[in-house]
Amino acid sequence: MAYRIQRLPSSTPLIAFAARVIAVVLALLVTALILAISGHDPIDLAGQVLSSSLLDSFGLQDLGVIFIPLMLTGLSVAVAQQIGAWNIGAEGQFYAGAFAATAIGLFIPAPDWLSLILMVIGGFAAGAIWILVPTLAKAYADVSELISTLLLNFVAALMVYYVATGPWHDRMTNSSTPKVGAEIPEFWGAIHWGFPIAIVFAIVLALVLSNTKWGYEVRLSGSNPSAAEYAGIPVRRHLIMVMLLSGAIAGFAGMLEVAGTVHRLQGGISNNYGYIGIMVAVLARGSLVGVIFAGAFMAFIQNSGIILQTQGLTTSAVLAMTGLILFLTAIGEELSYYRITRDKV
Amino acid sequence: MQDEIPAAASSPGTPPRVYLKGIAKYFPGVIANENVDIEVLPGEIHALLGENGAGKSTLMNILTGIYQPDAGEIIIDGYARQFASPVQAIAAGIGMVHQHFKLVQAFTVAENIHLGWDETPKRTSAAVLEARTAELAKTFNLQVKPGARVSELSTGEQQRVEILRVLSRRAKILILDEPTAVLTPAEARELFRALRDFVSHGNSVIFISHKLDEVLEISDRISILRQGRKIATEKAADCNPRMLAKLMVGRDIVLDDMRERAANAKPMSAEPVLKVSGLSALGDNGLTALHDLNFSLRAGEILGIAGVAGNGQRELSQVLTGVRPASTGDIMIAGKTMAGLKAGEFAAAGIGHIPEDRLHSGLAPAMSITTNAVMREYGKPPVAKGGFFSREAAGKLAREIAGAADVAIPDFAMPIRNLSGGNQQRLVARREMRIAERILVAAYPSRGLDVGAINTMLRYIVELRDAGAGVVLISEELEELLNLSDRIAVLYEGRIMGILDNNNLDIDEIGLMMGGRAHVGAGEAA
Repeated sequence: MAYRIQRLPSSTPLIAFAARVIAVVLALLVTALILAISGHDPIDLAGQVLSSSLLDSFGLQDLGVIFIPLMLTGLSVAVAQQIGAWNIGAEGQFYAGAFAATAIGLFIPAPDWLSLILMVIGGFAAGAIWILVPTLAKAYADVSELISTLLLNFVAALMVYYVATGPWHDRMTNSSTPKVGAEIPEFWGAIHWGFPIAIVFAIVLALVLSNTKWGYEVRLSGSNPSAAEYAGIPVRRHLIMVMLLSGAIAGFAGMLEVAGTVHRLQGGISNNYGYIGIMVAVLARGSLVGVIFAGAFMAFIQNSGIILQTQGLTTSAVLAMTGLILFLTAIGEELSYYRITRDKV
Repeated sequence: MQDEIPAAASSPGTPPRVYLKGIAKYFPGVIANENVDIEVLPGEIHALLGENGAGKSTLMNILTGIYQPDAGEIIIDGYARQFASPVQAIAAGIGMVHQHFKLVQAFTVAENIHLGWDETPKRTSAAVLEARTAELAKTFNLQVKPGARVSELSTGEQQRVEILRVLSRRAKILILDEPTAVLTPAEARELFRALRDFVSHGNSVIFISHKLDEVLEISDRISILRQGRKIATEKAADCNPRMLAKLMVGRDIVLDDMRERAANAKPMSAEPVLKVSGLSALGDNGLTALHDLNFSLRAGEILGIAGVAGNGQRELSQVLTGVRPASTGDIMIAGKTMAGLKAGEFAAAGIGHIPEDRLHSGLAPAMSITTNAVMREYGKPPVAKGGFFSREAAGKLAREIAGAADVAIPDFAMPIRNLSGGNQQRLVARREMRIAERILVAAYPSRGLDVGAINTMLRYIVELRDAGAGVVLISEELEELLNLSDRIAVLYEGRIMGILDNNNLDIDEIGLMMGGRAHVGAGEAA
């Protein structure tokens, strides 16, 4: 009898899910091992993380606050994936949305409720505008959106840093703008109403994709553009619409961060949410509902990192752990296509 | 000077440069080559002539070490050789220029020539490589620009680079696979000059082609392959096009005439359902792939399109279904012009399309069977309800199509790529037949299918014809065309060489037209 390794054309959802779980567990084990080697007690640390996040009301609130932007940037990336595009620029669109919301909140005098509505519109629009050029370049000149969306992240980050420390800076803090007046009301503890809105948003989008003619056309265009052309679907128009929607969602996340959590604009306000959103989408395997769960998991990892920092670990350790999860997930994804078969001689 | 060594009259006792003796190669269910004997002499240009699938490529893949023969011997200059890999064949002086060049587009000519060559100096510079290339070009009398990037060259220039690369490895046997397919007539003449120069030094060329005229012009001797076997080797001087065409396609045609209409079949219409006038279109490379086509098709008629694959068939099927825009000319469907309209409007006008590469342009392989089955009808009720997509109705439609196609499907949510090619093709055919109220354009519908599946496919087409649709049937199987078509048009290099009534048809005539000879009195025979 001989063993043979065989690559199959597709993997079953169950095996793919199992591969993900194994990847995450392995990443956590490796982290624990490294912590143990460097003189920490991983079991004690794990206990602290659990007791001050999942088992604690304030901890849960912290989780929720991180969950909102992570889930939305993950949704943004996953939406672009539906049409076969990689939005690496959720980070930049997040900044653009935060920028627009702050500008509206600071400089347009209006009652709070009106100001909030304008900020929502501004957040969506700014995110869409930030992805507009990469979108058109991809649709009309076949320019890779991977690079163009990525590069605009740096532009957005520096622009926000500039206005927050320069022309819009607050005399008291010097490193951020003054407080934005209009605030999104709280939903539970420190968690604002963006929380339920983001979840409903993901579910509605998932339903639209699976239950409308437009959704069918988008999924077909994303899966095989030439078959979609053959079926008479305006692939380019859908590509433009879906990419703009993807940018708008990330912009909305940035707006919520200003109006719901931070209440002012500051450099680094995105906390890498845009990049971690890519991981959320990858973990969710392109499923929009899966983004909710993947977002919650990544929020837990990020929050654990903050807790670990209070225990004397550096941010780099947390970043390494996040990278390890992505790395092992990618390997698991590929391995889920393989089977070991036994030849009977 | 060039005729110092008259090829076919080499002195007795000179061993042939290449002697393929009793070569056989079997693939599952297919005889690719069997009992093939071919001798190629020093100083000879030897043409290999045959239709698609006649076994030319397999034979050359065996000679160049890509495949190992299942039987037979390869004898080079009198010594039996075995090539375990192309590297060994190259070392033995056998070089091949493929139809699709294997050059690195972003590299310069000099870099491409020296890539993967053990004689390339270890420490070197662009200037050294270019000087060496210029030297080689002079030696072999092939004009190339050593410093130019390959991506900036014309196809003719790229081919010269490819030939130079092969010759620089001291090839004594040069194999060219359809070398003129990508060349302009002027470039082809230049290639022929270079080839004559090459053989005048005692080297040999094996020239693969299906174009009768150029084979007669360039070669000293011609071997004809058909269905994996060698039919004949003749001196070119003793050949004429008609005789070659007969040898190439003149097999025993199994006539299983399906042209008889069923009793309740709709009669052929008087007015054409499709009228094509002055139609031209560009290929993917931006060059004109279809030249000024004129033909018409009646409802209830099958028009066969014969020709060797790659002569514009793909473009024709795409233009007729709106996937590819026409550059000039008009397509009229039931008296209405389709100018400027896209695939969706063509489908709505009642045109079904079985595309040539079903997996890439007719299906989304990673998506579910249901998603793929409803691709043509998702936009109308019952699947579409207003702007909504009814998953329930889509599932019902998918089951209906699978039922009509007689394909048993365990799980409609599984990706369609998990189905066999035959089942995919049956689903696509049934899906397209549902919308083909007026016309079905079927490109190679039986390609890659086994005998049973082919029969099913052809019955579908006849069924649709009897229901009153016009059918454009593109095929490389002459039997299939003769058995089904009411008329046969022959496509050669994007032009219709003639349209013949399928009535006591002279098969040699079709063979001649497939090889580029225009039909006497060519024109619309509607």
